[in-house]
Amino acid sequence: MPPLHHLFAFGALTLALTACSPGDEASADKTLNIAFWGDNTTLVSLDPFQVYWLEHRVLLRNVAESLTDQDPDSGQIIPWLAKSWEVSADALSYTFHLRQDVTFSNGERFDAHAVKAAFDSNKAFAAQLPATFGATYLAGYDRAEVLDAFTVRLVLSRPNAGFLQATSTTNLAILAPASYQLTAKARSLGNIIGTGPFILDHYTPEVGARLVKRSDYGWPSANVHNRGAAHVDAINISYIPEESVRNGLFLQGKTDILWPRNPFSEVDLKLFQAKGATIQSRSLPGPALNLYPNTRDNRLLADRNVRLALQKAIDRTSYAHTVYNAQFPVVSGVYDVTTPYFKPQANKLVHDPAGAEQLLDAAGWHKGEDGYRHKNGKRLTLRYNLTPAESAGDVLVQDQLRKVGIDLKLNVLTRAEWVAGNAAGSYDLTSTYMTRADPIILQTILDPRSANSATLATNTYEPQTLTRAQALFDSGITATDDAQRAQAYGQLQDLLIDEASAFPLYERVWQAATSPRVKDFRWTAEGFALFSDIEVSQP
Amino acid sequence: MKRYLITRLGQALLVLWGAYTITYFILYLLPGDTLTIMLSASGMEADGLSPEALAKARAFYGLDKGLFEQYIDLLWRALHGDLGQSLSLGRPVTALLAERLPQTLALAGSAIVLSVVGGVGLAYLTAYLQWRPLKTALARVPSLGFSIPVFWMGLLLIQVFAFALGWVPATGSQGVASLVLPAITLAIPSAAVYAQVLQRGFQGVWQEPYITTAFAKGLSRAQVQARHGLRNATLPLLTLIGLQVGNTVSGAVLVETIFSRNGVGRLAQEAVLRQDIPVVLAIVAVSAAAFVLVNLIVDLLYPYLDPRITPTAKVN
Repeated sequence: MPPLHHLFAFGALTLALTACSPGDEASADKTLNIAFWGDNTTLVSLDPFQVYWLEHRVLLRNVAESLTDQDPDSGQIIPWLAKSWEVSADALSYTFHLRQDVTFSNGERFDAHAVKAAFDSNKAFAAQLPATFGATYLAGYDRAEVLDAFTVRLVLSRPNAGFLQATSTTNLAILAPASYQLTAKARSLGNIIGTGPFILDHYTPEVGARLVKRSDYGWPSANVHNRGAAHVDAINISYIPEESVRNGLFLQGKTDILWPRNPFSEVDLKLFQAKGATIQSRSLPGPALNLYPNTRDNRLLADRNVRLALQKAIDRTSYAHTVYNAQFPVVSGVYDVTTPYFKPQANKLVHDPAGAEQLLDAAGWHKGEDGYRHKNGKRLTLRYNLTPAESAGDVLVQDQLRKVGIDLKLNVLTRAEWVAGNAAGSYDLTSTYMTRADPIILQTILDPRSANSATLATNTYEPQTLTRAQALFDSGITATDDAQRAQAYGQLQDLLIDEASAFPLYERVWQAATSPRVKDFRWTAEGFALFSDIEVSQP
Repeated sequence: MKRYLITRLGQALLVLWGAYTITYFILYLLPGDTLTIMLSASGMEADGLSPEALAKARAFYGLDKGLFEQYIDLLWRALHGDLGQSLSLGRPVTALLAERLPQTLALAGSAIVLSVVGGVGLAYLTAYLQWRPLKTALARVPSLGFSIPVFWMGLLLIQVFAFALGWVPATGSQGVASLVLPAITLAIPSAAVYAQVLQRGFQGVWQEPYITTAFAKGLSRAQVQARHGLRNATLPLLTLIGLQVGNTVSGAVLVETIFSRNGVGRLAQEAVLRQDIPVVLAIVAVSAAAFVLVNLIVDLLYPYLDPRITPTAKVN
């Protein structure tokens, strides 16, 4: 029975051949395809107020809009859904004069009542779940007063100098009153209606989302060049967790924008550029990728000199150039350069191994036979908690520290263990970040009174430094003018570096590769993109 | 026969309950509790909250019950067909399964068919061939197939058939075409096992007296192998297929991630990582049920395929 053998032996192959599809013709001319890395599977939510996931904030920026916008170059707050506003002298009441030509995509009118509904609903949600991300943006918000149909006054009960910037974020975007009639869970699963140039057609967690253009749109902020409806008809967003597959789709032309979370490696970068792709880069505002020490409980980093030595032992230039590429910016402060009130500290962050060795010798840590430093029979071993896996950069830092005799132990943990480790203080170094184009974001990491992890925020300072840092945070948040804020956050950045309470490693650069058919990709202040400007053409 | 069936069903239920219970307690033994993970996911950590805020959050996520209380509650509702709500997705678990299960069933189903066809085909061919070098070479293929890591095979197939040749899509869950590469990837390890076992089976069977008899009757080699060899050699395969159903579920975790498919395997992995207990329990229950059911069917089929095997002694 020869035919049977063939059928058996080549069964798999035949099936593969016959099942071929004629390629994906669905990517029609005016559709933009975007591939992100994996979706957030821990907190599945598209509710603007709850979302901290950067990729979701990119999507939301194009669906839901805010009272104000932020200029990506200057960091200034500029009009958007609000034409103008006044802030009272005590910085406790903000009066917004709204545009009168704006509608939600379900036809509802955008007016003062809609703004009140949004803010009140967010406040109620934050009361129910104080841990939600948006709560820090809304800090101090008391009530909204509808002065007339298109004038609304937002009243704070305590000062919040970051409030105006908060009104420009996706987190305080204004959804249609109908959206707030739904439960937070329904909003999380994509039942959101905004005023943006795109409508969220559907969102399937872990798979993707589809945005379709709104043809009657016409109220962008000054950040957008296109004053009318979007150039593309639809946007397909897909979440591809596997890097090689994601890159392959881009090289195949099946994806127009390749937008993973981590910067591209030099090899990939060269490959994409060889195919005519443009690499879009922007430092994400907020803290740089910093390591935070545990200075409490008589741990090794309680000694300021050891911390200063650690600061000097890190070679940030070689980090940027070897882990990423020669053009990659070298981190130069506690914040990324795109953060308003950023103060460069590059001269304090120079690589000085000789200085580090001196400090360590002076602190009584002497090099032993094994090349590491010892004191009272104990090795200078620092435990660095990280999740979910160590990166090339972590190994590089480990090697840099080894050269001055510090033994950096890369303690790889699951997320749950890592969180528990931070809370228990069982680490010498740990790391975390948040993205927001206002220096106030540091309070959610380093101010024990409002930080996500009070333990981490406390441990990063010696007791006397903590008092000074909190005074500066208070001065920054209650400031009513720019100079006062600049002074407070400037001093805070100095303090964090001078006391070695933060060890910057690298600038958090977000990169996207755009194919030659994509024109006019532009970043927002917070590192998102405004899709209504993007044009796609056949190259 | 009836008594046998009842006993087997009872055992099956016991296995289901055992799997459910063990999974529940293992999830509780994992480091870190669900609330901490979920708070951390929403950008907050538990130690930054006041006890009142923590209690509120605990109640909000429905985590304010004790270990056993929650277990009894979950089990009782599961018995009534209510698998509960996913903690992080905020949706009924049954709805989630209804959405994800068809994807995985299609993948697992075609993988099982492909693996049987491929495995049996390869072993059949190896047994039929008489040219030594080729026969030996083919006999080594199963070990190779089983040794290749699934994720690597998946990436290789994507590179060749999706990126280089462009025959099939690399990712997604739309249409039959997107099923081809994942199904082949998932089928390879099982096919290798079947081929290996069947090759051994043929080797044994060829030595049997009835094969000599068949040749003596004047049948050709092909006829002997098909009628007398294959039927006798395939019996162990049946047991293996039953066991491989379990492997298919675990293989789906990898394959669905590589091919960005939206199935139960990926759901299981994510749910374990975020300690979404109701979802994990439901997936374990469903896969345990499938496993138990397939093996029950296999056991019931034996007497029909091989009259020598009976569930109960014929002579009392």
